[in-house]
Amino acid sequence: MRRRAVVVALGLAAAVAFGVKAVQDAGGGAPAVDDSFATAVTELPGSARPAFRVGRPVLLDRRESRARFAPVLRSVEALAQPRPDSASVATIATETPEGTTNIVLILRAVSRQDGTWVHVRLPVLPNERTGWVPRSALGGYQFVHTQLIVERKRLTATLLRDGRPVFSARVGIGQPHWPTPAGEFYIRDKVSGFGDPFYGPVAFGTSARSAVLTDWPGGGFVGIHGTNEPELIPGRVSHGCIRMRNADILRLARLMPVGTPLTIR
Amino acid sequence: MNEHDAPVLDSLEELALTLAEVDADGALQETAAVAFPTTRFTFLKRSVGALAAGAAGLFAADGAAAVGQTKNDIQILRFDLVLEYLQAGLYTEAERLGALTPKTLDWARVVGAHERAHLVAIKGLLGRNTVPSPTFNYGNVTTNERAFIRTAVAFEDLTAALLKWQAPRLDSRGILAAALTLHSVETRHAAWIRHQVGLQPAADAFDKPASQQQMARLIASTRFVAARPRLAGRRRPRVTG
Repeated sequence: MRRRAVVVALGLAAAVAFGVKAVQDAGGGAPAVDDSFATAVTELPGSARPAFRVGRPVLLDRRESRARFAPVLRSVEALAQPRPDSASVATIATETPEGTTNIVLILRAVSRQDGTWVHVRLPVLPNERTGWVPRSALGGYQFVHTQLIVERKRLTATLLRDGRPVFSARVGIGQPHWPTPAGEFYIRDKVSGFGDPFYGPVAFGTSARSAVLTDWPGGGFVGIHGTNEPELIPGRVSHGCIRMRNADILRLARLMPVGTPLTIR
Repeated sequence: MNEHDAPVLDSLEELALTLAEVDADGALQETAAVAFPTTRFTFLKRSVGALAAGAAGLFAADGAAAVGQTKNDIQILRFDLVLEYLQAGLYTEAERLGALTPKTLDWARVVGAHERAHLVAIKGLLGRNTVPSPTFNYGNVTTNERAFIRTAVAFEDLTAALLKWQAPRLDSRGILAAALTLHSVETRHAAWIRHQVGLQPAADAFDKPASQQQMARLIASTRFVAARPRLAGRRRPRVTG
């Protein structure tokens, strides 16, 4: 029985070997499917070099500082609480006294059944006032990574980017009877090319307001600007504004975006 | 009639259904209804209008083609760049606002990093033909997780469909080769996010394209592209001095 099985197996092996030999003789050696691939490859044109290569994924820096602001799309009442029946704190206009788009610094947001409400810092008296507005009254968020700190005792201004100082200058601040207010504010706009040497080449509008010069045109907003009297800086020389030498304000104008939080202490 | 109209129309109707699938309360469906009309007649009427007006004009090339790039390729790349601005902005804002759950943030952070890398690559290729980023207003989408996920799914699906439409229209094979490296990543994003939120990652055997004009209309109807605020001026400062 065993002997018979061995004979059958040998017979089958011989038949397979004969068959393979016959195919190789007829077809030139390689299996038909390999031939097809070889033909297809030789008929293709050379590959084009990609015009660009995408680099490494760009992750956000988790250490970046992230203040955000938004433009005011429509005149809106800022409310004491995030609900429609709350008391009004102030009316927010769509334009600044310089005719630029009014913006507000965003502190936080809450979602409720009646929509999203945003807690914002307001450019009104008393200084540092905040209020709630519907998200729909504001435009898209814009982020800044800078913060300006003005030290009234040391008469300095320092700009931080992601917490690191990138600019520092001596400043002039308000005279004792027109003090520069202390508190948390933000940069509202930037103007240049206005042709008034008193303000130097560039001026920033801020959300800070003089508590005493309320009848000043525009309502007594505190600005940060250049000067035509550089010899007075540093000192307590202004009506409440923060003055810098022109070279300094030009440098600051290149580094500090509108929307930057401002701390005066 | 354009020979490409029929497949584009079919695919857009299909994409409208996809949007409806992920859009339970109808916000994106409303958008899709504007972008994906239901009859061929309406579609053609709107196509002619869109080509003549906003969409095409918004992304039109300035005629100064860079070396190796045709006017046609520049127009397509500019469109893609604006789309990358839009997508990268969406993920960046959502990540910065910190309102996403850790599970969603896991993929949003990676996809956002890819979109920002795409943006850098396309800007680099366009060189002086690049266009600046529009200003975006994502409203509540970046703080409402459900809305964010729906929008992300829709945009990844649509971007993959758009790249399919653009690919045979590119003049440069080098740009085509590069675009294909983006296309597969966008489809991976779409499948990944779909899987994460329990949707079918690969429902069909074949995908269909979506046209640039339709994509432009869809973007316009989301109102994500906003007027740029005027943050600087030339008026005399009205500050205390």
